[in-house]
Amino acid sequence: MKLIPEDLLYSREHVWVRVEGDLATIGVTDYAQEKLGEIISLDLPEADSYVERDEPFGSIESAKAVVELISPVSGVVISVNEDITDDIGIVNSDPHDTGWMIIVEMDDQEELDDLLDTRGYQEFLIQETEAD
Amino acid sequence: MDVWRLLPFRKADAAENMAVDEAIFRESIRRKVSPTLRFYGWLTPVVSIGYFQDARREIDIEGCRRLGIGLVRRPTGGKAVLHDQELTYAVVASPEQSHFPPDILRTYRVISNCLARGLSGIGIRAELKAEGRSPAGESLRTSCFSTPSRYELLVNGRKLCGSSQMRSHGAFLQHGALLMAFDPQRTCAVMLPHRELEKQAARLAESVTTVGELTGGSVDEPALCRSLREGFEQELGIRFEEGGLTAEEEALSRELMAKKYRNDNWNWEGSQSWMSGF
Repeated sequence: MKLIPEDLLYSREHVWVRVEGDLATIGVTDYAQEKLGEIISLDLPEADSYVERDEPFGSIESAKAVVELISPVSGVVISVNEDITDDIGIVNSDPHDTGWMIIVEMDDQEELDDLLDTRGYQEFLIQETEAD
Repeated sequence: MDVWRLLPFRKADAAENMAVDEAIFRESIRRKVSPTLRFYGWLTPVVSIGYFQDARREIDIEGCRRLGIGLVRRPTGGKAVLHDQELTYAVVASPEQSHFPPDILRTYRVISNCLARGLSGIGIRAELKAEGRSPAGESLRTSCFSTPSRYELLVNGRKLCGSSQMRSHGAFLQHGALLMAFDPQRTCAVMLPHRELEKQAARLAESVTTVGELTGGSVDEPALCRSLREGFEQELGIRFEEGGLTAEEEALSRELMAKKYRNDNWNWEGSQSWMSGF
């Protein structure tokens, strides 16, 4: 059973967002980490860099594949989780909490309207699994 | 029946080879074109390293210079490959393509099944490695060919083909090297760490096989391409139409060549020093 916490929003690119005011904390979902398998390398943007919605904000490597992480929002990166660059395993073991990746100061909170809630993401996963 | 585009075998330099693969991949995300199978070779010997590899720690720069071997960083993951006498394949598909599951490992499995079927047409019985394993003893861990990963192709337990992937927006690029011939001494000479070179080379030689060795040198690149093409067609129930790059792919590959794959910052320093912008 995949963990899909109620207090987060989800993109169709399997990225979660925790919203606090105009700040968006971002990471990959439990479903994504399970599909990726053991993550061995991670590349995240630097603080103060700008990320754009639907564009890559970083890359992850597992099983000889580089997977681009797609940002669900646009804005300036105000914080990067240094703990996961020291211990990448956290992304696999605790993706929704201590495995967070970046915090973005959002340009436009209307971008959040395209994201899914827990139920919507659950349904999206069912569709994706059926199409598989 | 689905129709795929086939880009026929052509040799190019390292920067062009990587730029074309990435351009096809980026355009497949933008335009949802039909899947592509591309075959290519290398004009001069080149070491390609994976996206996350540390070139200065894992590649012997002096060794490369001495032997006239270039270096390029791939957009895909995995370990280093010395490209010399080989046939390289690339497959690009977007998420709408029902032939491919949405995850990394099962995509390797589908493509390996296609390659294995193609190889059977030239009399090579390759099997898929069920589980990956870690390099042992004096193995050259830097080298892609030191150990098979899950679903890679083996013949009598020896690795014939090494592959890697890149994924974004549900689309993927998978490319891989099918060895026509293999020189373990040269491979060990350009990859670090050097540790009892003869032992390293002997172990690598034991773990690798080639199309040349398995067919007694009777199969050349065009014959192998034909057989692999048939393998994809039979395994997936598709057919190919030969084609070329679109104008958009041409333009993007030229840009990627100039700004990324001929750029020492990308090739030597990697992702931290180079921002995509594509």
